[in-house]
Amino acid sequence: MTELLSDDRPGRGAPDALEPTRDLRATLPDLVDVLLDKGVYLDLDLIVTVADIPLIGVNLRATVAGIETLLEHGMMRRWDAQTRAWVRRSVARHLPLADDEDVVARMAGGHRQEEPVPLWRPGTIYLTTRRLLVWRADPRELLWQADLADVVGIALRAEPTIGGEDRTRVVVETSAGTTLLSAAAPERLRDLLVQHGARPAAGGPARDEPAPPLLRDHAWYCERLAGRSTWRGGTATLDETAGLVWQGPLDSRPAVRLRPDRIAAVDVERGRTPTGARVLVVHGRTGDGTATTVRLAVADASRWARAVAELAGLRALEPTGGPR
Amino acid sequence: MTLRVDEGSLKNGVLTLVVTLVEVIQEALEHQALRRIEGGDLTEEEQERLGQALLDLDDALEQIKADHGLTASVADLHRGLDDVVDELVDKLVNPARWAEQSRREGP
Repeated sequence: MTELLSDDRPGRGAPDALEPTRDLRATLPDLVDVLLDKGVYLDLDLIVTVADIPLIGVNLRATVAGIETLLEHGMMRRWDAQTRAWVRRSVARHLPLADDEDVVARMAGGHRQEEPVPLWRPGTIYLTTRRLLVWRADPRELLWQADLADVVGIALRAEPTIGGEDRTRVVVETSAGTTLLSAAAPERLRDLLVQHGARPAAGGPARDEPAPPLLRDHAWYCERLAGRSTWRGGTATLDETAGLVWQGPLDSRPAVRLRPDRIAAVDVERGRTPTGARVLVVHGRTGDGTATTVRLAVADASRWARAVAELAGLRALEPTGGPR
Repeated sequence: MTLRVDEGSLKNGVLTLVVTLVEVIQEALEHQALRRIEGGDLTEEEQERLGQALLDLDDALEQIKADHGLTASVADLHRGLDDVVDELVDKLVNPARWAEQSRREGP
């Protein structure tokens, strides 16, 4: 406080009438700013003569100023409007928009069609001042749309993709039903939607974060290749939604994916494995219904067996003990 | 007599000049962008795009300066230009200085 007071010169609170207001140190950016803010008008007539004979004539009229200054003076107003309108149109090329409708944001994305079969349909998500729509440019089709006024809730949800990893999806609830959208920037889409009047769904934050997996450990997977079985090292994960997943370090997608509801039985067998003498055996069905048996060698097979059984709602089987 | 030009410092000098001028233009653009946004006829999407583009330009300039080790020399040149402008403006708005100068240079 004392420093402030000591710095205070007399007459600083109310500027004296004759005190110069110009900042004593002018910089180049200051100069440019002033020129552009005020605007520069140049009217130049010039004749170059040699031996008193005019040879070259220059007649120059130039106005340089910030567009905002020009607009204030009523110049270039139409040009400015046309340029911006052109950009707006080119952003929303082919897109059927109402006259007073403007595109607010655009990003790659898609929507999930639930009927007749669940199917992701890729396209471009447009948020306009009136609608949220998914548009496919080629072949042209409006895949999905909702009036912003109809959107009653919006939330983010982590969903396992076909490859097994989690992606954040945007859940849009309208009066007509719930739709799942994928978007390049789900958080931004959600924020923009909320800004433009859509209500965030109740209990949203709780569903935002994907739940941590129940168990995750290094595991060997007994893979059958060309009629022979081989143990391959990788990572096994037990997750509430994805179920039992095993993926090798070089695989782009998991070799094993068993959703909890597709796990039929769990067992622990004795056998020779890279980690010990116990093998976790999980019986289940794959997505198309064929029966499958997954053999994993993990460090603590009985703990995994209990966890898998609990997740799948099965009675945990006692380790059989004897060799089969 | 041979004219010796250090190629490294020549390249640096030219780059410094160019980057400094671009910086001055960038500052002017940012100032005008602010005025346009405050002017209020840009839509939200346009404001977003404008801000992003200026941020990208800023990042690119910083990157170039860091890559070529120009940060210090650009700052120096910037200051030098500011001094020149300061002197010029000072002279323009204070005609009294002309007399002063001519007295000093006089006899």
